[in-house]
Amino acid sequence: MPREIDISNIERNFILEALQQGVRVDGRSLDQFRSLELEFGDEYGTVTTRLGKTRVHVQISAEVTKPLEDRQFDGIFTITTELSPIASAAYEVGRQTEQEVILSRTLEKAVRRSRAIDTESLCIISGAKCWSIRADVHVLDSDGGLIDCSCVAIVAALRHFRRPDVSVDGENVTIYTMAERVPVPLSIMHNPVCITFSFYHGGDTIVLDATRSEEQVRETSATFTVNDFELCQVSKMGGSPIDAVVLLKCINTALAKGKEINGIVAKKLAEDSTKRDVGGLIAELRAENER
Amino acid sequence: MGTAFPTIILFNRHVGGYIFGMAGLEVLLPGDRISANQIPTSQKRKIGHGLRQEPDTSDFTATIGGLLDVDYRKKTAQIATPDGRYIPKAGDLVIAQVRLSAAESFHLYINAYSPQAILPQLAFEGATKKTRPQLKSNDLVYAKVVSAQKNMEIELSCVNPATGKAEPDGLGPLTGGMVFDVSPGLAERLLKKQGVAALEELGSRLQGGFEIAVGKNGKVWVDCPEAGVKGICAVGRCLREMDENELKDKEQKRLVNRIMNELERG
Repeated sequence: MPREIDISNIERNFILEALQQGVRVDGRSLDQFRSLELEFGDEYGTVTTRLGKTRVHVQISAEVTKPLEDRQFDGIFTITTELSPIASAAYEVGRQTEQEVILSRTLEKAVRRSRAIDTESLCIISGAKCWSIRADVHVLDSDGGLIDCSCVAIVAALRHFRRPDVSVDGENVTIYTMAERVPVPLSIMHNPVCITFSFYHGGDTIVLDATRSEEQVRETSATFTVNDFELCQVSKMGGSPIDAVVLLKCINTALAKGKEINGIVAKKLAEDSTKRDVGGLIAELRAENER
Repeated sequence: MGTAFPTIILFNRHVGGYIFGMAGLEVLLPGDRISANQIPTSQKRKIGHGLRQEPDTSDFTATIGGLLDVDYRKKTAQIATPDGRYIPKAGDLVIAQVRLSAAESFHLYINAYSPQAILPQLAFEGATKKTRPQLKSNDLVYAKVVSAQKNMEIELSCVNPATGKAEPDGLGPLTGGMVFDVSPGLAERLLKKQGVAALEELGSRLQGGFEIAVGKNGKVWVDCPEAGVKGICAVGRCLREMDENELKDKEQKRLVNRIMNELERG
């Protein structure tokens, strides 16, 4: 069974010594993210996110299904993550490792449990028909920062996604194709962003967006999920204890970084929208015009 | 064969940054035929990785995609894959990581997730049963591949078999410094000192210079006794940018200038 090969002692000692001096091996400052790149596909709801060398691909799909018995007014939203050997030889298909469970649970709490999507708007006929939105997360390359990169990718994909328009006539539901009617965006309540902090030297050194080598060396880590105005989730699973005041400072940093990242996502979405608007025809075709 | 043409163009575009031996740049794909006159005809020639001789004629067939690398002076021929995974070969210098210590030997990783290598505990300079070296898990060792045959375990040694000493390669455990991962192609160029002007420039300008050990498996150990952590990071960054961007000599000098400027600025 493949297992992550430990980092060598020389690398471990060097990284720790460098962090003590405030230096990172790749030249970044302690609170600097790697370059974040978003690449939207031709299909709505497709995005490939690149954070340094980490690469995550997310695909959103929708289908009509029957709602759950206990939540007849809500649609269904699921997130599926899988780590495969394409990302790293340490991962194996089918067998759930601890990292996969942590990634899955953190994303679930960050996006679905914090109600980033208004699932009530996915209801078509209560108790009978509703939309089921599914986010498939594929990790293509893994070099640390998986949670951060995956969360950005999911939120960008959800904002990019368009579902077919629907009309209801009694019990009859008509689903229009993309060619018949303009597809409808999802109802997004807020945009959560995961920010992971790594702690070294008993909490004295705090690092943002650790690479894979830095992740293997850290004593503990904490993941904060923030949106533009509040903190959605705190996740610190074990490791050495961290002072509460230090965590508060991390939360403030996370809020600032979250705004920054959401700004990048919004800019990329606007660029993609402009690219789809061939020749500026949408402005010509607009029905809402001033008198 | 018409469909192979675009792939060859792709290869040629990729190949631009490399310098190889005396032969011209020739890209081969699996199944390509190589006539006998392209390869040294001496009886003492060595046919390396990726070439297979046809049973009935003296021509050869390529079994992997890559560059035909012919050295008429050394009478060797092989197919070079600069970015491929490293395959151990006898006589190579590698940086290996200790996995565990058994009764009479150490088990090491040469590549991650690859077959392990064996390093006898007595294969060190001056080692005896009573004074054998103590290596812990995850320590690094600069060693030479003694034997790397198919279906057998790879054997390493930290000693010159003729003289019983670690010189002239400086074999043995590595301490301090830092290890960077590069592609096997760059590691080979570093060992041959071909197309790596940036490191010589950096060595002359860095305070106190730096020590370096290059493993053919794509690992480079660097230590800066005087410049310390920042110096090692500068060398590491130089290696990484050389590797990712396949820089030419002029670009390498420009890179060194940029690195030294940032280093002096703090």
